[in-house]
Amino acid sequence: MATALTDLPQQDPLIRMQRDLKRASQKKPEDIRWGMVIDLARCIGCHACTLGCVAENKLPPGVVYRVVLEEEVGHYPMVRRRFVPRPCVHCQNPPCTKVCPVTATWKNEQGAVIIDYNRCIGCRYCLVACPYAARTSDFGEWYTDNTPDLPGKLVGRKTAGNDYELHPAAEYGMKWPDRNGGSPVGNARKCHFCLHRLKVGMLPACVTSCVGRATFFGDRTDPDSLLFELLGSPRIFRLKEELGTQPSVYYLK
Amino acid sequence: MNDNRLFKILVTLAIAGLVIGSWGVISVLIWGKKVTALGSYVPWGLWVAVYLFFLGLTAGAFLITILTYVFRVKIFAPIGPLSAFTVLVALTCEVIIISFDLGHLFRVYRLLISPGFTSMIFWMIVFTNAMLVIYLLECFYLLRENLIQWAQEEERPGRKIYQFLSFGKTSFSDADRVADHRQVRLLSIISLPVGLIFYGVNGAIFAILLNRPIWNGALTPLLFIVTALLSGGALITFLTYVFKIDDELVHYLGHVVRFLLVVFLFLELLQFFVGYNTGVIMNRTSLDIIAFGSYWWVFWIFHVVLGSAIPLYLLAVHHQSTKAVAWACFLIMITFIAVRLNFVIPDQAVYKLEGLEATFFHWRLRTDQYFPNLNEWLVSLWVFSLGLLAFLLGSRWLPVISAGKGEEEHV
Repeated sequence: MATALTDLPQQDPLIRMQRDLKRASQKKPEDIRWGMVIDLARCIGCHACTLGCVAENKLPPGVVYRVVLEEEVGHYPMVRRRFVPRPCVHCQNPPCTKVCPVTATWKNEQGAVIIDYNRCIGCRYCLVACPYAARTSDFGEWYTDNTPDLPGKLVGRKTAGNDYELHPAAEYGMKWPDRNGGSPVGNARKCHFCLHRLKVGMLPACVTSCVGRATFFGDRTDPDSLLFELLGSPRIFRLKEELGTQPSVYYLK
Repeated sequence: MNDNRLFKILVTLAIAGLVIGSWGVISVLIWGKKVTALGSYVPWGLWVAVYLFFLGLTAGAFLITILTYVFRVKIFAPIGPLSAFTVLVALTCEVIIISFDLGHLFRVYRLLISPGFTSMIFWMIVFTNAMLVIYLLECFYLLRENLIQWAQEEERPGRKIYQFLSFGKTSFSDADRVADHRQVRLLSIISLPVGLIFYGVNGAIFAILLNRPIWNGALTPLLFIVTALLSGGALITFLTYVFKIDDELVHYLGHVVRFLLVVFLFLELLQFFVGYNTGVIMNRTSLDIIAFGSYWWVFWIFHVVLGSAIPLYLLAVHHQSTKAVAWACFLIMITFIAVRLNFVIPDQAVYKLEGLEATFFHWRLRTDQYFPNLNEWLVSLWVFSLGLLAFLLGSRWLPVISAGKGEEEHV
């Protein structure tokens, strides 16, 4: 019993990652290389990261940055389910950025692949170029489409929208207020490692919302960080490694 | 086109198409891509296929102008001006349809401010514009003599337009004729590398993409050039028959089209053979979607039967009949949209990661639910009608046919 108790984690990994983040914020931005490790053995397939991301970035219907892939492995009765969360894997050699005809997407100095919404012409070439299907297009859908609006009598579209859809999204540290045709409607959209949260010392929404503490985030170049420690694991692998895209998102088998 | 009745019917059809299609155009301009059936896993649909269709139509005419004015193959000279005009109309339609596909059409100026030199789409736009400029000038120099002549005819309706298009020039000397043909030859010589790169770049847009079972590969740009020449060659042969330019030329072009059709079918067979034999699930799934998926009839009925088997039979067995050759070319041309759809969509219809099909449901995040909706068809109809109308009016009101008469003497 005593042994079992000492085996328990001494502290929530979030606290250590928060400390790592604080240390990274004291470095020059160009010296940081953000990375993520997802421990598949800890993922319980609750999809909280997906929803945390959707809520954080006020994503409309049909737009998703982080999905949890579900696979069934084996044959009955030897069957088990496997969950693979898939954010944008932020390739160090991204195939999606070089195809943009207006240089609206690029890998920033910290290794995150980002989009300038006001520059994107919406050709969707980056969507077809991404081998991980990590980019989605914002077609201008509303959750409250076809919701009737009768002020005073119904909690209609506007009231419902005020609580979510009409809230400005904070992506890239900007306020994206309306969804009436201007950006990001018509744009390609993707996970950006919650750069706006990192800027104010907060971990990405998918990390803090992970119930199983399966998602780890930090500076890949900081040898004292939890992320660096995990990257040394023999269980480490990356998705579609054979393509040479060198993702910054790693997985633990 | 001598048949006035047929001309009127086609103009009426084109105008009707423009009116009906305008609903789709207005919808897209107001509500954007929301009114389409496109999604994030199948982000390129009917409009990209129609774009490629028009791309093909330009290629046959490009081939004719090159053979006529660069290699001086005199037999094609009578259809030189018509070919140049066809390239111009098809290129314009191509630009219009692909513009509708953009999420932010009014940001295209960004191509000048922040160009992405590593992007094949950027180069596609550069070379499309280069082709437009080349063929606009080529058309001008090919038609100028007749335009000046028509501008001087008192009785000719629309005389003022011809005067405007002649830029005030009232006489045309032998020296002018020689100078204009020199310009045409120079433009055609320039268009040879520009055109080849243009078709190659369009193929490369698809060929360079990783993890794309049908698109990715060195064969794609070559296939693009062959398919473009086939569909474009079929169009030019059909037009040569319709405009009653030269029966012998129809026969000659028929042989060229037959050869191109055989080459294309052979390359397509190779694509299937290699794809199925790689054993890679993604490749086999894509090919299965084409041949045995929900839209199997697009492949088997439109492409294999109507677009390949019947034309091949007509071109091989009835090649002496100009009517049969024209019918064969017409079938190849109109069913080519099926080839383009089968190139664009099945590749995207395969989920790129296992498990993606079962998570986060939204119909725009599914690959098996894409079928062009009414708005997409209407916009396509509008662009086709616009192209048809421009072509009909151009062939009637511009000297594209008469400029070709006796053209072989100047080549």
